[in-house]
Amino acid sequence: MDVWAQLASGFAVALTAQNLLWALVGVTLGTAVGVLPGVGPAVTVALLLPITTKVDASGALIMFAGIYYGAMYGGSTTSILLNTPGESATIVTAMEGNQMARRGRAGPALATSAIGSFVAGTLATIGLTFLSPLVVELGLKFGPPEYFALMIVAFTTVSSVLGDSTLRGMASLFLGLAIGLVGIDNQTGQARFAFGVPQLLDGIEVVTIAVGLFAVGETIYAASKLGQAKETLETLRGSVWMKAEDWRRSWKAWIRGTFIGFPFGTIPAGGAEIPTFLSYAVERKLSDRPEEFGKGAIEGVAGPEAANNASSTGAMVPLLTLGLPTSATAAILLSAFQQYGLQPGPLLFEANAALVWGLIASFYVGNVMLLVLNLPMVGLWVKLLEIPKPQLYAGILVFAAMGVYGMRQSPFDVFLLYAVGLGGFVMRRFGFPAAPVIVGMILGPLAEEQMRRALAISQGDPRIFVTHPISAALLALAVLVIVAPWAWRRFGPRARA
Amino acid sequence: MTPSRPKGHLAVAAGVLALGVFVLVGAWDLPAGGGYAQVGPGVVPRIVGGGLVLLGALLLREALTGGFRGVDEEAEVHLPMDWAAFAWLGGGILAYGFLVERAGFLLASTLLFIAVARGFASRRWVLNAFVGAAVAGFIFAVFNYGLGLQLPPGVLRGVLP
Repeated sequence: MDVWAQLASGFAVALTAQNLLWALVGVTLGTAVGVLPGVGPAVTVALLLPITTKVDASGALIMFAGIYYGAMYGGSTTSILLNTPGESATIVTAMEGNQMARRGRAGPALATSAIGSFVAGTLATIGLTFLSPLVVELGLKFGPPEYFALMIVAFTTVSSVLGDSTLRGMASLFLGLAIGLVGIDNQTGQARFAFGVPQLLDGIEVVTIAVGLFAVGETIYAASKLGQAKETLETLRGSVWMKAEDWRRSWKAWIRGTFIGFPFGTIPAGGAEIPTFLSYAVERKLSDRPEEFGKGAIEGVAGPEAANNASSTGAMVPLLTLGLPTSATAAILLSAFQQYGLQPGPLLFEANAALVWGLIASFYVGNVMLLVLNLPMVGLWVKLLEIPKPQLYAGILVFAAMGVYGMRQSPFDVFLLYAVGLGGFVMRRFGFPAAPVIVGMILGPLAEEQMRRALAISQGDPRIFVTHPISAALLALAVLVIVAPWAWRRFGPRARA
Repeated sequence: MTPSRPKGHLAVAAGVLALGVFVLVGAWDLPAGGGYAQVGPGVVPRIVGGGLVLLGALLLREALTGGFRGVDEEAEVHLPMDWAAFAWLGGGILAYGFLVERAGFLLASTLLFIAVARGFASRRWVLNAFVGAAVAGFIFAVFNYGLGLQLPPGVLRGVLP
């Protein structure tokens, strides 16, 4: 079947009343958690994982994906109106958009980021639609050694690109790998690191780790370190509509941002940070008014926001076609697939074509919903920003505790949650990124499985990883990702400075 | 000038190192061989443990030579640790763990809400109690009745529908 027929069958799934409703719930929740500081898409999807026992796979996954890309839309609202940068991918928007808001141009800033997100999200979904079948073709040729090498690449890029230190990123990754070891080895049935505690035999739930690091750790940090920090909320006056001038300056930036963001999302390079900064630099270079940058240039919001969105949709390509998550939220989406006994990868496109294409089609629908939610209804979301911090964080922790306790009705998990939260606080305080922990704990067991399969094929000869050309090239790339920045600092042109 | 050696950095680096040793010791008893692959369940734990030891050692070197790269201890001075807030949050979560099955979901959640809000320096006890109870009631209604998650009614057993 060709792409068009597949996509049409996907729309048949996505446009059922029930799945439309799930998409709407997903993008609405996504926008809300994107707007609210202190809670993000990773925590939200993690907290909602228990519904996988009640809802069918396509409905739940459509909703989870909606939360994932809806949060990108909502996040920009907060970074424009609030002077505290939220997630790292929106730092640039926070710089330029907040400057616009301070000069009374909050409306056009919100509009260009919402429309830009829509343009980028839709173009990137088209990219996803046509690129996925090609990557699936490629993926079908991969054997265990190639998959193992690909996962190693994902490990190295996620830990060296996210955060500002490769060393601390790797430490986070290995912490995640260690957490992933806990429980029963799924190939031999051997219990590992369970210490006879029955709750640990099933492994540590990703919900506990994600909620602990992102919600509890963040909240402890916000209360005990940032309690005194002042935040100013810019008011939204007048129309959110853009003038002809704004359109003229924005549309090229949206397109350029999309073409910068999408490729970065599709390679397992982790995060939307680099493409947003790249897009910002490009816009600044090409603008006929570079002097406005830093003081509220609309291109500086339009481009990076488009890049941010395009790269988050682009990240769906490796997730769906190869089973490779490149961010914390993508890793939790992967574990949502696993709850249904599904493993994203080339075979999913054959065995569950209706599900995958329904999910892809829902991206088109969801982006239209998000445009409506974030443009005419943006005033509603601004209200969410007026919730005072004490009550906001208190509410977040009540939800977090409920989700972790309710998962298996176990107070043990609540105490574990606090321990993980303390760990998250320490990590935040000393600059360790949290996302590699999540990617490590979810991807680690899969990488181990592929490694042992590959070694079963070669009867224990580890040279299989270097004699297969694709796997050898990927492993070389992984080494390069780790070594190159270090070598650059040491032997590069500015090494003596 | 001797390089500064931030104590926190030393402790964290030592913690990573200790975790690595812990994983290695735990991996000791796990069979490393066996099967076609000749790779048993003990191999990856050894790699992970070894990796953590190596990373811990490298972190320790950074900590001893001026602190972790890119972590600005000067800026930290302006963000003093608020231990009271820290204690309110910790107390709230631990109390939740003890109370959720004994006193029930609604009471435990309301107390957690009050404790966290207090951690953020809100002293409007009555307002927070009301809002907390409302949030807890909303969650209970949606998840217990709506989604069929079993949340313990606790002391309110029989009172709740």
